[in-house]
Amino acid sequence: MPIFEKSSESSVTRAIISQFAKEMDGFADTDVIIIGGGPSGLMAARDLALKKVRVLVVERNNYLGGGFWIGGFLMNTITVRAPAQKVLDELGVKYKMYEKGLYMTPGPLACSKLIASACEAGVSILNMVSFDDVVLREKNRVAGAVVNWTPVGALPRQITCVDPVALESKLVIDATGHDAMVVKKLEERGLIKTPGFGAMWIEKSEDAVVEHTGFCHPGLIVTGMAVSTTFGLPRMGPTFGSMLLSGRKGAKVAYEHLKGR
Amino acid sequence: MSTSRAAEKRLRNVNLYSSENRSAKEFTEVKSYLETVFPSVKISIRSTVFRNVPKREVDCFAEALASARMKDPSSALQTFEPMFGEIDYERRAILGRSRVGGVVYDGRRLQEEFVRLLGRRASLPTASVVFTDRLVSTYSRDDLRHHLRTVICGFPGVVSLPGVVEAPAKPREYYLMKQRMELEGAGELPLQQLKSSFRGRFVDYDDPELFEVLKGLALQAVLYHLTIDPFCENRSCRLFNAHWQEDLMRSQVLDGKLCKKHAKQLASLGRKPVISW
Repeated sequence: MPIFEKSSESSVTRAIISQFAKEMDGFADTDVIIIGGGPSGLMAARDLALKKVRVLVVERNNYLGGGFWIGGFLMNTITVRAPAQKVLDELGVKYKMYEKGLYMTPGPLACSKLIASACEAGVSILNMVSFDDVVLREKNRVAGAVVNWTPVGALPRQITCVDPVALESKLVIDATGHDAMVVKKLEERGLIKTPGFGAMWIEKSEDAVVEHTGFCHPGLIVTGMAVSTTFGLPRMGPTFGSMLLSGRKGAKVAYEHLKGR
Repeated sequence: MSTSRAAEKRLRNVNLYSSENRSAKEFTEVKSYLETVFPSVKISIRSTVFRNVPKREVDCFAEALASARMKDPSSALQTFEPMFGEIDYERRAILGRSRVGGVVYDGRRLQEEFVRLLGRRASLPTASVVFTDRLVSTYSRDDLRHHLRTVICGFPGVVSLPGVVEAPAKPREYYLMKQRMELEGAGELPLQQLKSSFRGRFVDYDDPELFEVLKGLALQAVLYHLTIDPFCENRSCRLFNAHWQEDLMRSQVLDGKLCKKHAKQLASLGRKPVISW
């Protein structure tokens, strides 16, 4: 007796197309689009989805999680400083205390739990899709993102004249890490001028990343390392606690804004 | 000199304004220290100067603070238009909804905003020392670039708490080892270990030595108000203007005393705090 039920190739194909088309239809107009599926983007997405906000995460890679899989020097132990371990508690991630206020956990465990938690909260995900441009509305308010399949950008231009599609949203969150791709796009258009990274020798920047998380332009919120690039804060090592808390703060700012609209 | 003119030139009050992220209570040690140096002067601790921002002027001050950010270390004048997000952050910070830190401000521009905020509270008989959790820099004509500062003397004097940690250079070996670790992509744990191996050679955030150092810096700010000559060449004197952490530790913590010359000067000023410039 075969292990699996019988099904045809055409049924499998139809299942993929119909489900994806239905989801894509919902993506065309959503509450919040988050560009970047690293720790801060996923955290923001999860918190918003738990509050019944419609959230779409656009991730250019096949995999989610960004740099959260691995710590410094390619070693997959990640560290978080208090109070970020409370987020690990919420996600059900086990950790050990290294010293008072400093906790460590395996990267694959923390990352997979965060992804699962975001998906279970109801976050929609478009992976293998890259951010291309911003949708602008009155007074240059950011009101969505223009995206395209990631492989399109990787092919020679003469054979990939494939137009992107535009997705509308009430808010966009730039969670693209050091690249701050959405912010840079506004800079290309002359709508914003970022100061670049601050001094390397300033060591206390974790708080600054969280505290600066918020609107950087009407309709656009920045979280995670994109905050450092946008506000010229000191570049820092892989301190994941601030990524998680920055994502959480980004979600709070977005939620309060949506509630007040 | 007439009697009224002489009275005007005497220091009567020192107002210490606590930093944005800390409570006034935390500055009690600094107050007590200044009281021992200036027994005839009334020393008071006030809450952060930003408490004085009138509601209707919050946006105006937020924009001024965002404009005061130091973005180009090689430029004497910072003439950038602030971003929407920078103004929004400063607004939140003024209203006490965000903690400050991580950004460098042009110290002189910041001082101008403090002058606006203090208004009549600052006068010749009243010295103001504003503690801040912001990093501050001033432009140096010696090498044509901005440098982080621990204290910016003036009216008011500005003392930067993160400046105590970040402005004076740490031992050379620390930077060499840190640079090597960064090239290897090391994270938080090795940095903490590196810091522990240099313990006692520099002041770090939340070290108990921080407030001991602040006593000396506050003294420098008050002495500037009295004499406009607050610094000493002697590396063991609390009035030494340290550019290296090891010098800062020696002058403020390990020795923690005034040199003979300044001990004598301050004993005299303590009895009769006359403004002499």
